[in-house]
Amino acid sequence: MILSIIAYLSIVLFVGISVYKAYQFANMPFHGRMDLYPVPKEKGYEHGGSYYEEIAWWSKPHEVSHVREIIEMLKEIIFIKKLFENQRPFWWISYALHLGIYLLMAWTILLVIGAMFELNGIIVAANSSSIWGLLLFYVSLVTGYLGLAFGALGSGLLFLRRLFDNTLKKYTTPQEYFNLLLIFAALMTGILTWSRDLSFGFAREVTGNLVTFTPFAADGLLTLHVILVGIMLIYIPISKMSHYVGKYFTFHKVLWDNNPNLKGSDIEQQVIKASSFRPTTSWSAPHIKPPAAPEK
Amino acid sequence: MINQRDLRPKDMGRSDDQLIKLDNLMPLLAPFDKPGMEPPLTDPKPAWKEKYCTSLDGYVGIDTLTRPKSKEDEDEFVRKFLSGLEKIFSDANNGVLQPLLLSFEYCAKCNTCSDACHIYTATGDNELYRPIYRSEVLRKILKKYFTTSGKLLGGFVGADIDVNWETIARLGELAYRCNLCRRCAQTCPLGLDNAILTKEIRKIFSQEMGIAPTPLHTKGTMLQIKTGSSTGLSKPAFLDTLEFLEEDTEEKFGIKLKFPVDKKGADILVLHNAGEFMAWPENPVAFAILFDAAGLNWTLSSEIMGYDSVNYGLWYDDTQAKKIAMMQMKVAKDFGVNRVVVAECGHAHKASMISSDRMASDRIPVESCFPLLWDMVKSKRLILDPSKNNFPVTLHDPCNVVRQMGIVEPQRSILKAIAPQFREMTPHGVDNYCCGGGSGFAIMNSANFPEFRTQVASRMKFNQILGAFKGTMENTSLPKYICAPCSNCKGAMRGILEHYDATEKFNLQYGGIVELMVNALVSMKKPFLEFLE
Ligand code: SF4
Ligand code: SF4
Repeated sequence: MILSIIAYLSIVLFVGISVYKAYQFANMPFHGRMDLYPVPKEKGYEHGGSYYEEIAWWSKPHEVSHVREIIEMLKEIIFIKKLFENQRPFWWISYALHLGIYLLMAWTILLVIGAMFELNGIIVAANSSSIWGLLLFYVSLVTGYLGLAFGALGSGLLFLRRLFDNTLKKYTTPQEYFNLLLIFAALMTGILTWSRDLSFGFAREVTGNLVTFTPFAADGLLTLHVILVGIMLIYIPISKMSHYVGKYFTFHKVLWDNNPNLKGSDIEQQVIKASSFRPTTSWSAPHIKPPAAPEK
Repeated sequence: MINQRDLRPKDMGRSDDQLIKLDNLMPLLAPFDKPGMEPPLTDPKPAWKEKYCTSLDGYVGIDTLTRPKSKEDEDEFVRKFLSGLEKIFSDANNGVLQPLLLSFEYCAKCNTCSDACHIYTATGDNELYRPIYRSEVLRKILKKYFTTSGKLLGGFVGADIDVNWETIARLGELAYRCNLCRRCAQTCPLGLDNAILTKEIRKIFSQEMGIAPTPLHTKGTMLQIKTGSSTGLSKPAFLDTLEFLEEDTEEKFGIKLKFPVDKKGADILVLHNAGEFMAWPENPVAFAILFDAAGLNWTLSSEIMGYDSVNYGLWYDDTQAKKIAMMQMKVAKDFGVNRVVVAECGHAHKASMISSDRMASDRIPVESCFPLLWDMVKSKRLILDPSKNNFPVTLHDPCNVVRQMGIVEPQRSILKAIAPQFREMTPHGVDNYCCGGGSGFAIMNSANFPEFRTQVASRMKFNQILGAFKGTMENTSLPKYICAPCSNCKGAMRGILEHYDATEKFNLQYGGIVELMVNALVSMKKPFLEFLE
């Protein structure tokens, strides 16, 4: 029961806090432009161009390709393209961790589906007569093995690299080591737990019990694993590991946001709204008059 | 002094006389790779050490940052900084809050951005100039004073820095060791921008503590707000200058030039960096010749704020930037032109089209001169003979125009059409390196700062130039032209060429793009470029 509650709670909090963070960023005050080229949605993306390359740009339609923007975004999400291009050695281990996490997310979903199957009498095993049961069995195996291996390897190597690289060491705070260790510990307990269960049959059973609030006998290792994963899920969104939220905003709302303030545009409305705002704080340097004071 | 290899962000508070000393600069390319081709770096004068903050790397960027007389002064200085630091996260800073918080919170310290920085690379990967070094110092201070985690957990979350006068003063200086070129931001996998944090430090110093380099503030934005131009050029002096240039152009080239001033019913208001009229008057002259030849209906303004496009506020003070941008926009509006065209000044491009874009509604459209100039070439409204420009030409991409605005192709299309020996630098376009003059460096000339600019900040650019002209350098009868279509970039080029005596020794020349265009005009009886005579 307790483990079920931890499982549900941690997932709810993970999603909830992440969404709340996104909500907070989304509701931050309208900011000035900080576009940085190349901007994928622009027609001149290949050479890093923008609509400013046109004469009388304001009188022409702003041609944008949201498809290209989404493709570039996916390249970042799926492959961490910028790291790949700019720091290959680091990419290998960072990507192992990220790929591991993606695979484990998929694995978790597959376990839940598998547990549902089993509860409904469809066997998920190598000898299953159901094609879906078979498929689920093998895909779960692959995602689970690789996910755990990549995730643990990635987090472990990132930790070691930070520890032994003279430069990174100077910038890494104890908390940042802790972040990596937490992930590593959560994954290692997973590896230890499931190494006794190479077909993931038990994992599906446990998942079924967790999902349905059915009490079951969990040994110390499994209990520790569930608790660590729970803590990790809650901790990630409150720590700066929530960069999956931040990254959306840095690209879409800062670097790639180049919509001009044209008459009749949404931007214009936001500008009008923002310019009526009177800050409650003001700067103190002598050359700055309080915002409300009239110009002499 | 610390060996830079051991330098950590928390060392900023140490009592050393000088934190590091630059010694291992990136080698220059041939022909400047031989010993003796480069003057050695110098030590700060003892008098500067007493007066300013030379305790970072020995250079003085902020000539108004002077050492305190008493312990009270010291404490007050720190207190003011901290109060400013708190304010950058308040509603007084709404216009950058979201980007700032993102860059502040999310750095993964993956170090991908370091190699993108020309200053870091030029210093032989000196720790002090690593893009995240400065950011990390700022984070540590904020954590120490303003976060619960920092107060409770201290060093565990990185709040392990001593904060005293030296720490803050060094951080202020360090904010002027970054060109705000944002090349590092292009490489960050998380989309973070260390230049934002640099600028916030500059803002705290200016907006809260009233401390900013004199050339940017007192003789920059303040002078501009007072007289209309950061050059101090008054309206009558401006009109006199134009008259002189008209006479001079007629005398030299036999062209009867008349600058249209305050012309009613003009379509275009052209905004120059007023520094051009003093330092490179051939540039506005060339613009006038081309615009007339292409038959544009244009004018200059003699209104206060109407004849200087600069806005130094961009580099250190949002409130000054806004004042100037609003005053400039008002001139254009009162005038009733259809559009404003910004001439060859990179930061003025960005100021008038990007930074001020969301400051107010109902703006007069502003456009860059480059598409317009390219259009004149493309449409054959100018009759040009490229063979007149038959010497090696390379193009410097001003960061503000290219990386930060996406204006990349028009200027190269022009050069490809009018300069048969045009060659690109490596890298170029949006991946270019800053000229080293960015964010005010080009005009900051106090104490030993020019040495830092020319030998460190501009070092990568100088190598790019030498690379582009490889194989032609030794031929001194052959001029080699660095096309730097931006006033500040030209300032930086002038600095480099003078410092290395490169014009004298190797016939390395520099200038804008319109000068080359005019030089190629079939109608020109003699070369417009002086060095061709
Ligand atoms: S903005 Fe430019 S100068 Fe500043 S740290 Fe980044 S790359 Fe270096
Ligand atoms: S690349 Fe981005 S995340 Fe990595 S160290 Fe630089 S600023 Fe931080």
